[in-house]
Amino acid sequence: MQNGATPLVEMRHISKHFGGLHAVRDVSISLNPGEVVGVLGHNGAGKSCLMRILSGAMAASSGEIFLRGEKIEIPTPSAARDHGIETIYQTLALADHLDAPANLFLGRELKTWLGNLDKKRMLREAESVLHRLNPNFKNLTVPVSAMSGGQRQVIAIARAIHFEAKVLIMDEPTAALGPSETEMVSSLVEKLRSEGIGIFLVCHDMHDVFRLCDRVMVMNNGRNVGDYAIDQVSKDDVLSLIIKGELPADWSDRRAA
Amino acid sequence: MSQVEGSTSKPGDLDLIGIAASLPRQGDLIQKLSALATLVVLVIAFSFVNGAFLSSANAMTILLQTAVIGLLGLGMTVVIITGGIDLSVGSVLALSGVAAGLLVKAGWSVPVGFAGGVAVGTFCGFLNGLIVTKLRITPFIATLGMMLIARGVALQITGAAPVSQLGDAFGRLGNGALFRIVEKAPNGFPKVVFPGIPYPAILLLVAAVIIAYVLHKRGIGRHVYAVGSNEEAAHLSGVSVWRTKLFAYSLSGFMAGLAGLVLMSRLVTAQPSEGVMAELDAIAAAVIGGASLMGGAGTISGTMIGAFIIGILRNGLNMAGVSSFIQQIVIGCVVIGAVYVDQLRNRR
Repeated sequence: MQNGATPLVEMRHISKHFGGLHAVRDVSISLNPGEVVGVLGHNGAGKSCLMRILSGAMAASSGEIFLRGEKIEIPTPSAARDHGIETIYQTLALADHLDAPANLFLGRELKTWLGNLDKKRMLREAESVLHRLNPNFKNLTVPVSAMSGGQRQVIAIARAIHFEAKVLIMDEPTAALGPSETEMVSSLVEKLRSEGIGIFLVCHDMHDVFRLCDRVMVMNNGRNVGDYAIDQVSKDDVLSLIIKGELPADWSDRRAA
Repeated sequence: MSQVEGSTSKPGDLDLIGIAASLPRQGDLIQKLSALATLVVLVIAFSFVNGAFLSSANAMTILLQTAVIGLLGLGMTVVIITGGIDLSVGSVLALSGVAAGLLVKAGWSVPVGFAGGVAVGTFCGFLNGLIVTKLRITPFIATLGMMLIARGVALQITGAAPVSQLGDAFGRLGNGALFRIVEKAPNGFPKVVFPGIPYPAILLLVAAVIIAYVLHKRGIGRHVYAVGSNEEAAHLSGVSVWRTKLFAYSLSGFMAGLAGLVLMSRLVTAQPSEGVMAELDAIAAAVIGGASLMGGAGTISGTMIGAFIIGILRNGLNMAGVSSFIQQIVIGCVVIGAVYVDQLRNRR
């Protein structure tokens, strides 16, 4: 945006209120291709709400969304997917009774020419994408309720990246993971970034934020209280933004120094 | 466990289901095998009590009786898999049958009357679906309302009187059979050599095959399971939750319409008071067959086994001379036992 190129996604003046409660107030945010933007804030700050608006799970009360400069409407989750906006939800959003391929292709099942479910092709594709993320993934055809937290997370991630996403929203992707799986997610983020995919990373872990993000946007009480390149701010600055909604008083002095 | 065995010692076989449930994680296969084993045990037990139980004539009777429970149970299963319930099927059965009867009485041909009856049933189911999805009323309440409405309409339009003298053609579906061989005996009376396969049984089989196909091979079937398993996840994955539910309730209404035709055709009389509490048999059949009232689980083969367990229990207890009051007690215990098993399975 700074260099004049058209951002991948731009949300302009987004507001969302539930009756008298203002969850998001006039927030604008942009995302460039190959950029990882951390969306931060304490619980209830409005970051999840903002991301749900982009993923089509919730309608904004006002504001506009642009994809590569073109205004788009996202009334439903499938509309977001059609625009190449994929989401990995914190809850993973998996149907427990269904197996891995069924979850991977849920809502966009592959069909044979007769319109029947093409289970063989879905299994084959699921195997290929899941093994790319985790070579040890076995037993794809058991219900996902019987799988480990890490395996379930892999399915949720596979579902988001298998369909040529342009924009990826990751909501706390590492919250339920062990160290090796967290490492897998980190390297995946790096790989997707190198492929030119834009990523919104909703995250509480400052370590991950500073390792993975190019830029951070902090929300407080529904407002965008700061949007900075990662090298402009320290962890303490970000924490101050999250908690107080403003930078420490000495920030500009330090910047000047 | 001991409670189940104690409360259901009457039929003398339900401990099998209990044993299966005590093996958690072995999952649905054991559950289904145990239901099948229950069925076999029932047949053996009843044939000891009364030798005529195993006769082909009685087998036909059981097929006929089970057809109605089975048809209702198939539609109920799809609704239950979505995480819902349809309490209206007994009343919708009556309304559909009465509508068919009145149409035929008014001079329409039997096929038109039957089509009208099924259309009325489907419409009731469609309304259920709209009330559940668009008015956001819980399925229990929505279909409870429809249960009262459909029954009231059936009684109102008939003046609570049975519609009779509908002609032979009206009775063919419920009383006819494929491959029936009848010889004329020397004394002039017809003698049935082979009773044939009753049309209702064929209808049940065809319906079961089609619905099983839809559930396992079509996208809408997969969405039925997804919606029942995790409605929010299904929505976020782009599944149209309300269309899926509308399909399920409409199908249940359609099946109730078919069941109504079978039942009224068998009686050759449209009875507005038929099918009271039939919804409970249908729910019981689905649940015994492994459908989970929590949603997301259930199979057509399981429900068919469940329908036969109830049909055979009814028939066998009848032939053993057990009073209808005791029958109610037994079936009540079976329902509780089956739901208890359902809970054990979901507690893991």
